[in-house]
Amino acid sequence: MIAFENVGLRYGHGPEILKDLTFKISPGSFHFLTGPSGSGKTSLLRLLLLSLKPSRGTVSMFGEDVTQLDRDRLLQMRRHIGIVFQEFRLLEHMTTFENVALPLRVRGQNEASYRANVEELLDWVGLGDRMDAHPEVLSGGEKQRAAIARAVIGKPDILLADEPTGNVDPELSERLLHLFAELNRMGTTVILATHEVNLLEKFDHPRMLLNDGELTIHD
Amino acid sequence: MTEGGLRLNWQRQNPIVPAGSVAGRTLMLLIGIMTFLSCVTFGGVLLVQKSALGWSADVGRELTIQIRPLDGEVLESNVRLAISLAEAVPGVESARALSLEESEALLEPWLGEGVDLSDLAIPRLVVVRLSDPAGVDIGRLESEIAGISGASVETHAAWRLQLNTMAGTIVISGVLSLVLILLATALAIVFATRGTMATNRDIVDVLHFIGASNRFIAGEFQGRFLLIGLKGGVAGGLAAIVFFIVAGTAMSTVMPETSSQQLGVFFGQFALGLSGLLGIIGVVLVIAGLTAITSRLTVRRYLSQIA
Ligand SMILES: Nc1ncnc2c1ncn2[C@@H]1O[C@H](COP(=O)(O)OP(=O)(O)OP(=O)(O)O)[C@@H](O)[C@H]1O
Ligand SMILES: [Mg+2]
Repeated sequence: MIAFENVGLRYGHGPEILKDLTFKISPGSFHFLTGPSGSGKTSLLRLLLLSLKPSRGTVSMFGEDVTQLDRDRLLQMRRHIGIVFQEFRLLEHMTTFENVALPLRVRGQNEASYRANVEELLDWVGLGDRMDAHPEVLSGGEKQRAAIARAVIGKPDILLADEPTGNVDPELSERLLHLFAELNRMGTTVILATHEVNLLEKFDHPRMLLNDGELTIHD
Repeated sequence: MTEGGLRLNWQRQNPIVPAGSVAGRTLMLLIGIMTFLSCVTFGGVLLVQKSALGWSADVGRELTIQIRPLDGEVLESNVRLAISLAEAVPGVESARALSLEESEALLEPWLGEGVDLSDLAIPRLVVVRLSDPAGVDIGRLESEIAGISGASVETHAAWRLQLNTMAGTIVISGVLSLVLILLATALAIVFATRGTMATNRDIVDVLHFIGASNRFIAGEFQGRFLLIGLKGGVAGGLAAIVFFIVAGTAMSTVMPETSSQQLGVFFGQFALGLSGLLGIIGVVLVIAGLTAITSRLTVRRYLSQIA
């Protein structure tokens, strides 16, 4: 599903942040992505989100070399990828419901066709009574769950989550992790960046460890 | 299903581009002012054009024969001869000598009241009305009149040429101003659009990441600008119509009747008429369309630049 071959990444003329990454991720798997702050977790996820191009090497997803994609194909591929940003990036002028429904709205779907689905998902993440609230009045954990709901509403094949438990207490972290595991059971490939050791210990998923720009995978 | 076709269903939802992030009111005011200027320029050009055409046609329907009194000639019989010669030319409707009183009235502004013209060697004038200004054989008329000693034909051709040149200059300047106003409007829209896009860069990025096409994003932004363009344009157009009505009314009430009539000839009574109204609607539509197209191109360009 995802294959990296000798991938290197640098920003502008800076040093290489990611060096010579070669790995494969099979469909339906669940990986933790970990490493110290600044080690390049977000950068790696941005490569996977197709929002950055590698400085060298090849990245292929869904069996296609992503450096060769035209705009339409890139768009189609993005619609199979869900992303939870480290800083949520909810749109402030929209309600929770609208934020979560946005991926469907931009695909041109009619509100009537997705309202029930979105409401069900919001109930599932425990935001059923916060549907009409705007992000500014949501707590950190509520925003986090809204961001997660937005990432999964389009039923993505790949779910990328950047520190999705960064803002919540250990108890909620654990509940969110169970939520991701549930999605994974339903077939979504999950890559979840975190540096919370207790989560890594509690859940037994393979770890991709970034250090000094080098990646090692511990199964 | 197309992405554009469903947008109408979303009116209950918040727009994708936040309302406050568009410099909407400023832009609307600017577009309103530009539309007003365009309409007034357009209306002015139309009035000058109409008046000049009308005036020129009026003058063209007439020419004058001048008969100077010469020693040894009987002026009255020369005048009668000129009239009968003129009336024999095809395309001439009628020929009529101005009476002495009429000539006096014409000269009054220069010579003062109560001058007895019979003492002076004043030329007599014959006004020739043409039924067919285009078809009349001026050459034949001129050669026949030349047979009368002291008589000559005055066709006002030079004067009409001057009038037409002046009107043409005004029309060209007006059209040039219109083009410049539209250009300035387009530039202002480019700046406003780029500003709005930059303000909403975060939203644009998020939309990209969750799978929105450039077409969808462009549609959201440009829908906003089309609305602003339409509102500003309609406001400016209405203001221009009010301006012409007020100016026309002021003209006929403030001015004494005779000078108002003369000015009325000049300014076409400030009556724009149907063509003027249609023209103003056209200007409004052009400006709204210009807003939509300019912002669409700008949004498209911005999106492909950040890709
Ligand atoms: N847009 C950018 N331009 C230049 N350098 C960047 C940019 N984004 C990240 N970096 C640099 O790349 C390195 C990796 O950053 P990245 O955000 O990927 O780390 P991270 O592992 O996600 O860190 P954290 O755990 O704090 O989120 C850092 O040294 C950072 O300064
Ligand atoms: Mg990070």
